[in-house]
Amino acid sequence: MSGPNENGEDYRLTSEIAVTSKDPESKDDKDKPKNGDPMKKGKGDEKDIPEISEEDMQLQAELEMLVERLRESDSKLYMPALEQLRTLIRTSTSSMTSVPKPLKFLRPHYEELGTILEGWNKDLKSERSLLASILSVLAMTYSDTGKRDTLNYRLGSSSTEDPGLWGHEYVRHLAAELGEEWNSYYAALVEAPAEKGANGEHKPAKKQYSEEELKGLGLELVAFFLKHNGEADAVDLLLELECIEELAGKVDEKSYDRVCRYMVQCVPLLVPPDDRSFLETAAEIYAKHDRYSEALALAVQMNDRTLIRKYFDAPTNPVMKKQLAYFLARSLTPLSWVHTEEGMEKEGDGPCPQQPEDILACLGSVKLSSHFRAFGKAVGVENPKVPDDIYKQHLEPARTTAAVTSANANLASTFVNAFVNAGFGNDKLMIGATEGNSWIYKNKNEGMKSATASIGMSMLWDSEAGIDHIDKYSYSSEEHIKAGALLAMGILHSSIRTDPDVAFALLEEHVDSKSTELKVAAINGIAIAYAGSQRRDILEKLLPHVADETNSMEVAAMAALGLGFVFVGSGDGEIASAVLQTLMEREPAQLESEWTVFMGLALGLIFLSTQDASDATIETLRAIDHPMAETAVCLVDVCSYAGTGNVLKIQDMLHICGEHADSQKKVAKEPEAAAAPAPETSEDNMMNPRAPTSNDAAPAPEAAAPGATGAAAEGEADAPAAEEEEEEAEEGEPKPLRHQAVATLGIALIAMGEDIGSEMALRQFQHLMTYGDQPIRASVPLALALLSASNPQLAILDTLSKYSHDSDLQVAQNAILAMGIVGAGTNNARLAQMLRALSSYYHKEAETLFMVRIAQGLVHMGKGTIGLNPFYHDRQVMHRPAVAGLLAVLVSFTDSKSFVLGKHHWMLYWLVTAMYPQFLITLDEEIEEKAVTVRVGQAVNTVGLAGTRHGISGFQTHQTPVRIGTGERAELGTNEFFPYQTVLENFVILRKNEAYSAED
Amino acid sequence: MLNAFSLSFFHHNMGQTPSSAAPGGGGAGKDGKDGGKDKKQQSKWEPPVPTRVGKKKRKGPDASNRLPAVFPSTRCKLKMLKMERIKDYLLMEEEFVANQAAQAGEDRQAADRTKVDDLRGSPMDVGSLEEIIDDDHAIVSSGHGPEYYVGIMSFVDKDLLEPGCTVLLHHRTHAIVGVLADDADPMVSMMKVDKAPTESYADIGGLEKQIQEIKESVELPLTHPELYEEMGVNPPKGVILYGVPGTGKTLLAKAVANQTSATFLRIVGSELIQKYLGDGPKLVRELFRVAEENAPSIVFIDEIDAIGTKRYDSTSGGEREIQRTMLELLNQLDGFDNRGDVKVIMATNRIETLDPALIRPGRIDRKIEFLLPNAVEKRHILKLLTSRMTLADDVDLEELVAMKDDCSGADLKAIVSEAGMLALRERRMRVTSADFTAARERVMDGKKDDGPAGLYL
Repeated sequence: MSGPNENGEDYRLTSEIAVTSKDPESKDDKDKPKNGDPMKKGKGDEKDIPEISEEDMQLQAELEMLVERLRESDSKLYMPALEQLRTLIRTSTSSMTSVPKPLKFLRPHYEELGTILEGWNKDLKSERSLLASILSVLAMTYSDTGKRDTLNYRLGSSSTEDPGLWGHEYVRHLAAELGEEWNSYYAALVEAPAEKGANGEHKPAKKQYSEEELKGLGLELVAFFLKHNGEADAVDLLLELECIEELAGKVDEKSYDRVCRYMVQCVPLLVPPDDRSFLETAAEIYAKHDRYSEALALAVQMNDRTLIRKYFDAPTNPVMKKQLAYFLARSLTPLSWVHTEEGMEKEGDGPCPQQPEDILACLGSVKLSSHFRAFGKAVGVENPKVPDDIYKQHLEPARTTAAVTSANANLASTFVNAFVNAGFGNDKLMIGATEGNSWIYKNKNEGMKSATASIGMSMLWDSEAGIDHIDKYSYSSEEHIKAGALLAMGILHSSIRTDPDVAFALLEEHVDSKSTELKVAAINGIAIAYAGSQRRDILEKLLPHVADETNSMEVAAMAALGLGFVFVGSGDGEIASAVLQTLMEREPAQLESEWTVFMGLALGLIFLSTQDASDATIETLRAIDHPMAETAVCLVDVCSYAGTGNVLKIQDMLHICGEHADSQKKVAKEPEAAAAPAPETSEDNMMNPRAPTSNDAAPAPEAAAPGATGAAAEGEADAPAAEEEEEEAEEGEPKPLRHQAVATLGIALIAMGEDIGSEMALRQFQHLMTYGDQPIRASVPLALALLSASNPQLAILDTLSKYSHDSDLQVAQNAILAMGIVGAGTNNARLAQMLRALSSYYHKEAETLFMVRIAQGLVHMGKGTIGLNPFYHDRQVMHRPAVAGLLAVLVSFTDSKSFVLGKHHWMLYWLVTAMYPQFLITLDEEIEEKAVTVRVGQAVNTVGLAGTRHGISGFQTHQTPVRIGTGERAELGTNEFFPYQTVLENFVILRKNEAYSAED
Repeated sequence: MLNAFSLSFFHHNMGQTPSSAAPGGGGAGKDGKDGGKDKKQQSKWEPPVPTRVGKKKRKGPDASNRLPAVFPSTRCKLKMLKMERIKDYLLMEEEFVANQAAQAGEDRQAADRTKVDDLRGSPMDVGSLEEIIDDDHAIVSSGHGPEYYVGIMSFVDKDLLEPGCTVLLHHRTHAIVGVLADDADPMVSMMKVDKAPTESYADIGGLEKQIQEIKESVELPLTHPELYEEMGVNPPKGVILYGVPGTGKTLLAKAVANQTSATFLRIVGSELIQKYLGDGPKLVRELFRVAEENAPSIVFIDEIDAIGTKRYDSTSGGEREIQRTMLELLNQLDGFDNRGDVKVIMATNRIETLDPALIRPGRIDRKIEFLLPNAVEKRHILKLLTSRMTLADDVDLEELVAMKDDCSGADLKAIVSEAGMLALRERRMRVTSADFTAARERVMDGKKDDGPAGLYL
């Protein structure tokens, strides 16, 4: 090639070599493209020919022979050949990183086999079926074509064989394609009606398989998954096929627990109606396996009256029934849902049975007080503390001599004393004071009211002794004291249901009292005592006061709010329409009152967590032409989605928070025609492409629908708002947008209860703090408080500590309150230290110092035994009355000057509905306390993880009764007993393990 | 450089959301005397916002910017739903911030930025922070000469300040106006493989099992950690490749580097031996720190026997230093801190001399042996090696394959290139069978001449 060979003259001049060396190089270049091709081919081939070993070669030849046999016309040979193929495929082992060899070698024949199948006679039924199955497996390697051939061939084969025989990977693949197919089928189904409307009869073209076929296959796969620890896969597949109910019949003893826990975790992230069906199915499964307490918890979570009754009535074991009764007592479920009192008319559909005495005692948690005190003694906090024990002024950095006005300090001490000694009934200022030396008289005016009411706090849950103590004050000539006594009566009975029904009997008459103060106190007493009870007689008593136009706004709003507390989350139309009526009939000047906001709150509470049940109410509210209506709309909106984590609602709230009072003024000044549509369209454009995608997980049509309605609602919301702004602008001064405060709180309200959402909401709050106007900034700390009540995480404490030094005093005060709520009942030392620093920092600010004191009291609430977290049962179920109480306090703080920092500091007692001891008390089957060892540690999320893991980490072993803080979990430390309720919290009854022997 | 710095500074500030208004009035009001007076004007005296200086968060992004962890990590709908929820929130956040920024007007931000630039002044000096006195004062020293007691500008990110770090100083007042992010040891950044090697898995003849093992234990845990989670096992932390010379250990590592999208750090054992005491261990620490910062990453330590030999009592300081370097390596491999997404590949041809602690399970979970190629592999290797050569028709590779000598991949390569050289010498454009025979003799002879065969093996 390169000319004559110069083999003789080896050692020529190197220069010559250098010259000639160019030649071969250029040759090389020329060769490269030529060589390149074969080389590439070589690479491609190397998968087939050069790389393979002898065995592989053999395998390949065998496979080819088998395929060849199928090609031939001798139909007798088909079956053996197919069976041979099947064995080869099934017995092949694969690694994670490569395709099984038979599949790889059969790949080139895939198309051909498909045509062979089509060419075959219909009579060759079993052969066709088997070949189709094999093709279905082969199609796995062709998955990226989007043809879903695996599924097609599988269904085409109509084989009855267990798909699991082809291996796990195949089943997973099939499940994935099944889900896709279902989605496209569903999409076609929804398109169809539209088409029908257009051109008459028209069948959707896409539909290939009937619903039954797909579901049938799906169920087969589900059964396989459940057998092979694929609980998550099973649930996912059924979710896609929209038949989660089928699961109840499929799970067995081994898998049900994992399945249910997985399902319950999914609930907050699902869109309706999936979440509901998940809960229902999980509850059904639990009930089926005799886990009634879990089933009941889910029923309570759904707030479904019939289900609650169903699961409460289900167990025959009286002890289990007591356990359930304790749970219902904790959740403050209306008694009438499970029990009909003697002589009362039967309510609702089926008549409730009458419950025996001992169950009623559990349902009313009448012994809560004695249990709590025993618990206090066990953890060594039974001795009373005075406020100075809490303030620890000697530790305050840079002590100051300048004393604040003593009235304010005394008032603060009243509250601190009340919160710290709550429930123990032995505080030194009120109960333990010598005759005539009571702390009440160290307060002035309204202070006396709060002081008297604090008796109720001190005697909390102890009905009999409490009434003895309070009784003498209810005859006092001093109106403030009398009002305080009424309030105390209500506080006393919070969270318990006594028989005889003392509180209502005592308070009832005062509701009609002439004095506004007594009236309001009595109404609030009833509200606190009967929060969540949904009693009709209370409705009849209070409703006239809402409607009565001669009443001042204060009374009407408080009556409405009282009903909101009592009927929280009921969606009661009668109350809603009465409140709406009032709002519409009142003069605009009256609506201007600062109390109107509680009307809105009352509406919101009635619809708490009922989702779209409040739509009609919101529409009606929109018709009211008053700025207050905006706040009310906002309140009802956020309340109805409380704890749902609905992203679209949060987006709406962020839009509201995005407005600015001054910028809108500018917009309004522009010509009307230009001003109105312009911002709207721009916003729509911006929003639509970015609309949250969570709905995409749901079937396509649904995804489109809520998005569209959301956008539409948005448009509607914007329009009236814009008009109002213009009016305002004409008046001149831009008003602070008060509903923004509610919207901010709303973000927390919607996001709470779901970990991801609450963490992400923190980020939103940061932005709100940066960009928001004053009302937003002031309510961000409140929102943080709502988000993590009694759950002092470091990040939140840091943030709040920063806000507590804000230059805007209201922000600082709210942040301080938030610190109190976040740390409520934790005795958190770091928080206590921060608050001490704040108390010396704000020693000249009477109001702020007052807040610091309150916060200190909250942090040491019940000496560290009582918490405020509105979620219980392993932070899974929302306690509606607790949310009502917390929210009412926080809403009042959006305008703290008029309420708590003004004359109405008693509003802080609303918190009592959220106060509940953070304990675990174990009882034997006779309902007597029984000390056992338990391990208490940080809760760990084990849902969906492999193996049997511990639900807690970093645990310590204690004897019950024991304190269980937010985010902690307990496990029994011995197998001497079985608990009746797996979530160890509150009261748990234990059953002795008969097979237990001490040696093991 | 400076531009990037200021940008990052701004970003940081947005995240932190200083809740109090612009600081600056701090000094005057601290005694609290004018507190009452100021209150009337609704602007209280500036509180000393608690600062945390010098708490450098090495791990991950700032806590406030971190996204919540998603459990379970197995592939399932729950995980997807959670991820989607996070995405939704992020979209909302983006929309909100974009809206607000549009309303506030970009110009304001730009104005702020120029203002800060003005304050910072230019040119700037570079100094090092000696000590932090209080919230806004520190002692710095510039490269030459004296130390100064200077102020810290309020816009400096205090979290980044820590004694010993490099700071930017105002050219006249020497006030601290910025912090320079300290770079990793330049030695370590050298180890980063920026340009992927050209060798890929296709260039490896045979070694199928080894490829599969290394894929399973190094690449798969980085790309699909959930598979291991699902199974409930911990993915292997590292592998050691061992075998006689020339069997393709380094080649395989190169192929891994070529294939992976993870950061690939490579180092040779002997590089870890440094002149000064403590430098070797420090280098190891730095290496793993960089690996962790750039996680997921793969660290490849070639010729590990340079530092990883068995420990023994030694009087030589050098020996002891080498042993200490190894101890540091032990700690980094499976010590107190969790290394996260860092996988280690080591290569040696004398595994029997290694310290048993180094290759115990938990540090090195998989030991991959490289054997001499068998006939099939030899054929494959030869095919790869000769695929770019023009061979004469009379060349029969089978002859080479069939030869009895123990020869490694490297030997085969030597034979092939030797044959090529022979042909080149004669200026032929194709390699003949005779060339191969000659080459084979030369190579194999050379091998034997080197001494007893056992020594070489």
